[in-house]
Amino acid sequence: MFRYIVKRILILIPVIICISIILFAIGKAMPGDPVRAMLPPTLKPDLYEIAYANTYERLGLDKSLPEQYFRWIYNIILKGDLGWSTMNNRPVADAVQIPLRNTIMLNIFVNILYLAIALPVGIKMATKRGSLFDNAFQVGSLITWSVPTFFLALVLVFFFSVKLGWLPMGGMPDTYMLGAFDSFVQWVRFLILPVITLTIVSLAGALRYIRNAMIDALSQDYIRTARSKGLGEKVVIYSHALRNAMIPISTIIVSTLFSLFTGAALTESVFAYNGIGRLLLRAVYQRDTMLIVTMNLFFALISIISVLVSDVIYGLADPRIKLR
Amino acid sequence: MAKNSNGANKVGRSFGSMFKRLFVRDKSAVNILEEEALRTPGKTILLNLLHNKLAIIGFCGFVVIILFCFVGSAINPLTETYSEFTNANLRPGINYLKYPKDLGDKNIIKIVSGVSFSIALDDRGDLYIWGTECNLLQAGVSDPILKIPDEVKNARIVDIESGGAHIIARDDQGYFYAWGHYGHGQTRIPDDIMQQMYEENLSSIVKMAAMTRWTALLGDNGYVYLWGSLQSETIFNTGIYATTGVIDMAAGDNNMVLLHRDGTVSVVGQSGTEVITQVPPELQDGSVRVVSIAATNRNALALDDTGKLWLWGSTEYRLNNMPEIKGTPMEIAGGYKNLVVLTDAGEIIVWGSNELNQLKLPKSLSGPTTSAKHIFADYHQFYATDANGKILGAWGNKGYLWGSDQFGRDIFTRTMHGGKISLTVGIWAVIISTVIAIVVGLTSGYLGGWIDQGLMRLTDIFSALPFLPIVVTLNYVIGQSISSANRVNLLMILLGVLGWMGLARLIRAQLLLEREKDFVLAARSLGIKQRGIMLRHILPNVVNFVIVSVTLNYASFILSEAVFSFLGFGVPEPKPSWGNMLNSAMESAVIQFYWWRWIIPALFVVAAAFSINLVSDGLREAMDPKANER
Repeated sequence: MFRYIVKRILILIPVIICISIILFAIGKAMPGDPVRAMLPPTLKPDLYEIAYANTYERLGLDKSLPEQYFRWIYNIILKGDLGWSTMNNRPVADAVQIPLRNTIMLNIFVNILYLAIALPVGIKMATKRGSLFDNAFQVGSLITWSVPTFFLALVLVFFFSVKLGWLPMGGMPDTYMLGAFDSFVQWVRFLILPVITLTIVSLAGALRYIRNAMIDALSQDYIRTARSKGLGEKVVIYSHALRNAMIPISTIIVSTLFSLFTGAALTESVFAYNGIGRLLLRAVYQRDTMLIVTMNLFFALISIISVLVSDVIYGLADPRIKLR
Repeated sequence: MAKNSNGANKVGRSFGSMFKRLFVRDKSAVNILEEEALRTPGKTILLNLLHNKLAIIGFCGFVVIILFCFVGSAINPLTETYSEFTNANLRPGINYLKYPKDLGDKNIIKIVSGVSFSIALDDRGDLYIWGTECNLLQAGVSDPILKIPDEVKNARIVDIESGGAHIIARDDQGYFYAWGHYGHGQTRIPDDIMQQMYEENLSSIVKMAAMTRWTALLGDNGYVYLWGSLQSETIFNTGIYATTGVIDMAAGDNNMVLLHRDGTVSVVGQSGTEVITQVPPELQDGSVRVVSIAATNRNALALDDTGKLWLWGSTEYRLNNMPEIKGTPMEIAGGYKNLVVLTDAGEIIVWGSNELNQLKLPKSLSGPTTSAKHIFADYHQFYATDANGKILGAWGNKGYLWGSDQFGRDIFTRTMHGGKISLTVGIWAVIISTVIAIVVGLTSGYLGGWIDQGLMRLTDIFSALPFLPIVVTLNYVIGQSISSANRVNLLMILLGVLGWMGLARLIRAQLLLEREKDFVLAARSLGIKQRGIMLRHILPNVVNFVIVSVTLNYASFILSEAVFSFLGFGVPEPKPSWGNMLNSAMESAVIQFYWWRWIIPALFVVAAAFSINLVSDGLREAMDPKANER
């Protein structure tokens, strides 16, 4: 097991290096002068030139491209310096902090809600296969699977904010999270629509996956054995079938868990929610090179780790699989 | 088992024989078991698929969408750069020209139109209105235009005029009424102008004029009073109050043609426009006596007492090119972008823009002689009546089936053409991604070894890149340096190049899986060459997965196009696509007031993706032998 993990990580290192090189190249290809964006345009011309030369040197732009690349990696790994966000005019690490926190908070709600719905419904769909319940959810999840996320968000806004006026349209202030009970209630009101949107979107894929995993488990021989032993249906489903179905299901649980960090650019944009996905989109609109590159690298790392973790968990959970 | 090896040998058989076996009853095959044994896998799949109602519905739905987009856009061409700001954000409705049919016995003396409605006045002072409510009602700057106020209904109206979205009327007592859009204060006479009217001894109103943003009244004292948006006030301020002896007015948005008692013509308004600078000198020095005037937004037409027409103004829509007119002109009228002349023989000559079918006369009104005696033109709607005031017909803008967008473009047509682009982007993205996936997957699975390792790491790299941010970033970086026409191609390529990883992994895994199966062992033990096993035994089993995955990917690429165009990184304006039609839905005003602008294209995206997903779901079930047992 340990050897397997080490081997996987060793294999991943060149992958990560390649990704960082690709992202570095994209960052270099971004139009716009990073030095000019950092300097205040109000400086006097002579001072501006000195400041320009200084910053140019400080950023290492006079060095060759490979040197710049290593410098960038070195700064990230050893100094924790992620670069300078021109959009916010402060270090990327600072600029990302609040949006990242907001995204994680949003996704915690989404994950709880969606697992609480997906597991029981998925199991029921599998056990009542072909019933009205199963068919309704199957067609329903196929429809939501075909709906662009932002459209779902817009429809929710249209009904609950515009027509009924129950909930705010979006644009949550950052201060809400910190204050007393009143502002907590406000904060929850702002969260409801984005949480519903993201939950419905995640359910669309997960329900079918859980259903199929459960059906596979229920069609195994050991289920027949259990039934022929005279075990009650509840025991058969939850103790025998679900345990085995949890092995494939664990992979999607892990991947949604890691999506805690990545944010949902579209949903966050529609609701003007100050999350990390929206921040990245804004960074592209505003040509904030370092923010774009660093966050893409961050997302790539998250996705790599999530795949690794779900593979390992798969191996741990299923004794039939021998990881080498 | 028998089915598999049997089928592998018959894969090459023609579809014709397959269909023959499917649909032509074979008398000799009476035994059901025999028939079962003879089915090829392809036939089983097709039969399964035909039994799946949802898949059939999905397939039919998709065919309908394709026909709508491709055939529809061929029939209904689109001028991409067209825009008509007066008609922006009009709600769905195609009844702009549908005048009530029970007007038969009424003597209609005047018909005026706004952007989406027309109103008629008969000789007894009654009003009749038809058309579609203006969008401005929702935005809270308008009264309902279609609901004639009670005091107007009770009064005996003698004259009406219409702006873009407001109507003004005066009765036989000289009272003035107005309703509709009041966003620029058009419907209420400002206090200072009331004061002026009082000081200048106005006793009754003689003529009225109204355009999109303003209202003008001509008093019996010869003064013109004008109010509305600040912009038009500053344009009109100069000289207008000093002008006396005016007996008629004809209006465009930014200028007004005035006819004086002595038969001369003057134009006021935005300085420097052709309609002001090019007034023929004969009309100004009194050598010609003008009896009637008409104006479009930027042109003017005058008719003198000898029956001669004078035309001047801007060259747009070739409005300054008067067509040849046979016979004596009797009446002239001006729409927003068109001029109309009626001759004594009843011939109607109309020229100018044809973007909203303004030149398309109905059959009863075309030809050298008709019974038309009066013509009415306002905005984009045109009407003709006979000597008894009976409406003979109408032409021009009949409305927008699915409403119009912020540039006044027809959403119906743009949805058609947008669908063509969205579906095409999806197809090309699928082709690109599938080709890459097949090459990578087959090479990797077939060759194995370090090539496999390398290709799989490449797949890892591509799948680790976050899809949405990377497409947006690359679209931005590369899109900077290419033309906007090529940005559609860029989107296809980006979607394709960043969307092949799942299928490549699937192909490779399936290849490895099938390679270990018993029938391959059997084939190998029979001495069939490696290549033959690959092509005839393994590949057919992989193709199924490719087909299902291709349909799935197609649906998701259509959704992706919508997403990226929605974010502004996809198909660039003015080329329509379902996604960029949704782009403006980011504004809360659009979500609130103009539902037709975002719900309609979004429903098409959903319908297309859903129908494709139904088909691919059906395909997967039809191909999965286990699904039959489940």
